[in-house]
Amino acid sequence: MRLAPNLRSLLLAPSSIIFVVLFLLPVGYFFVLSFWRVRAYQLRPDLTFDQYITVVTDYAQSIAYTFGIAFAIAVVTTTIAFAYAYFCRFKAGRFGLVFLFVAIVTLFGGYLTKIYMWKTILGSGGILNSAFMILELIDTPITAFLFSPIAVIITLTHYTLPLAVLPIYGSLRGITDTPLQAARDLGASQTRVFFNIVLPQTRIGLITSFSLTFLFAAGDYVTPLLVGGPHTSMIGLFIQSQFGHRLNVPLGSAMSFSVVVCCLLVITVVALLINRVTRPR
Amino acid sequence: MSDGAVLVDLRGVSKTFGTVTAVHPLQLRIAQGEFLAILGPSGCGKTTLLRLIGGFLLPTAGTVHIGGKDMTRLGPEHRPTNMVFQGYGLFPHMTVAQNIAYGLRVAKVSRVEIDHRVGRAMDLVHLEGLADRPVTNLSGGQQQRVALARALIMRPDALLLDEPLAALDLKLRKAMQEELRRIHASTGGTFVFVTHDQEEAMGLATRICVMEGGHIVQDGRPEEIYNTPTTQFVSTFIGEANIMPGQRSNGRVILNTGIAFADSGAEEAVVSIIRPEKMSIATHRDDQTLAGCDAYLSGRLLDAIFRGPHVHYSVAINDKIVVTIDSRDMDMRRRLSIGDDVVVAWRFDDQRILTDR
Repeated sequence: MRLAPNLRSLLLAPSSIIFVVLFLLPVGYFFVLSFWRVRAYQLRPDLTFDQYITVVTDYAQSIAYTFGIAFAIAVVTTTIAFAYAYFCRFKAGRFGLVFLFVAIVTLFGGYLTKIYMWKTILGSGGILNSAFMILELIDTPITAFLFSPIAVIITLTHYTLPLAVLPIYGSLRGITDTPLQAARDLGASQTRVFFNIVLPQTRIGLITSFSLTFLFAAGDYVTPLLVGGPHTSMIGLFIQSQFGHRLNVPLGSAMSFSVVVCCLLVITVVALLINRVTRPR
Repeated sequence: MSDGAVLVDLRGVSKTFGTVTAVHPLQLRIAQGEFLAILGPSGCGKTTLLRLIGGFLLPTAGTVHIGGKDMTRLGPEHRPTNMVFQGYGLFPHMTVAQNIAYGLRVAKVSRVEIDHRVGRAMDLVHLEGLADRPVTNLSGGQQQRVALARALIMRPDALLLDEPLAALDLKLRKAMQEELRRIHASTGGTFVFVTHDQEEAMGLATRICVMEGGHIVQDGRPEEIYNTPTTQFVSTFIGEANIMPGQRSNGRVILNTGIAFADSGAEEAVVSIIRPEKMSIATHRDDQTLAGCDAYLSGRLLDAIFRGPHVHYSVAINDKIVVTIDSRDMDMRRRLSIGDDVVVAWRFDDQRILTDR
């Protein structure tokens, strides 16, 4: 459909306004703040890189640690999501959509519910420990289950899994059966068909799912707070405390932007890697 | 069947899906160098038969021998056959050259030879200059050629084609028919193709197997199938036919229209089959046009359609049956008007008497 230029900009206006007011302006505001400083609990306009220097000197390790965990979560989740989506598309026959729906329904459980659920399962008086005790596999409850990085990985993987399944399923659904049969006909084994024909066509889905889970995990601060324990010092917690009781908004902003830039870097590298691995030769 | 050695040999092969029998036990031998058409209406089992040859389906019973070896249980990747799929099944994330090279890459052929053979294959199907084009940017006809080149480059003992031209428009279809004939002649391979289009089968194949309801009902050269159909189904599926029921007794056939002639055979209900182009039409029985005919029927002209080389007439006989006539006599066309009383006639030599089933 062709519209007059005036009408076009008019139709685009509402979404543009929402985008600018609710996204660009706040982000811009905090970007500017990240170059300010705080004196005696007061914001002072400035143009200093001090906050960013603090980020590098004091928080680089935490960012690296956070990214390590987020990367682990994203890799594990994307892998499981791929397996599940693959099962729905190719192995479950006409029940494929039912399985997909089941995965999506778990999203209704909500974020906090899942966190508390895992607390109940992994805690020292939790289901897992009780079961091991009853089976007399252990004498005293294993406290290492909960309040550990593993607990964070398990919880966030569980939460983001349905979100990661959808983009991959979307890509897999676009793959028709005939090219797969054609590849077999041309001599390719099942494994070869998978790597040459199926995987490359899910590239977009894989990158989307990875990005989605990675960003969610890297930015989350509730899960590490509730199941992570004292040694799981993820960057989200530090950022939250800068905005919260430490009242250092400039540093919090600088940390946020540093994390955003690092996230973009990681995702770009991973996307390039996925593209490279799945590129037809 | 032609004289070449037997390449594909189906012995008692059948295929059942659940409670539905797609292919009833059948024998089929395909000789080296043949261009075989498996022709039939949709649902007749022709694609199932092709997939049984290609190794995409395991037969319920019987064996599939290719090149003298039992390949019944081998998958498509282990058979010396390659398929051109209906809808082509190109790899959408690859370029033209990557698609065509895929089979050779899997077979670990050297890069130099792959490049050389891909170039040759692309020349063969006239895809020059499109090597680096993504296949999604090609027209239907070009995609068809990529699918063909991708299969041909494997130098298969038998090339299997599943409705290869169905998705193309008429003009392109005609052009591709010629291409396929040329490629068949130049590669000297064995081609087996499935089609529901009788004209395509006649135009391409050196031999046609007509299928109906999971059976091969007739197997022969195109002219045999057309001139001497063995069943009523074949006579109407391949070309048009006038079918006149009658009864045979005491060595005589009497058609329901009253025509009688000598014909030996069992005493049973029969049909007389006459092709429209073997029928003649005139205004009265003594007309020169009808000279030499044996059977005459009076009727009323219902319709006359000009079809270029001939005129297609419909004539109602006794207001009960309608006979069609294809006549090249354009002079006659000017003398006839719709609603006229006319006479249609044919020679007994041009009719075929079959058991009525």
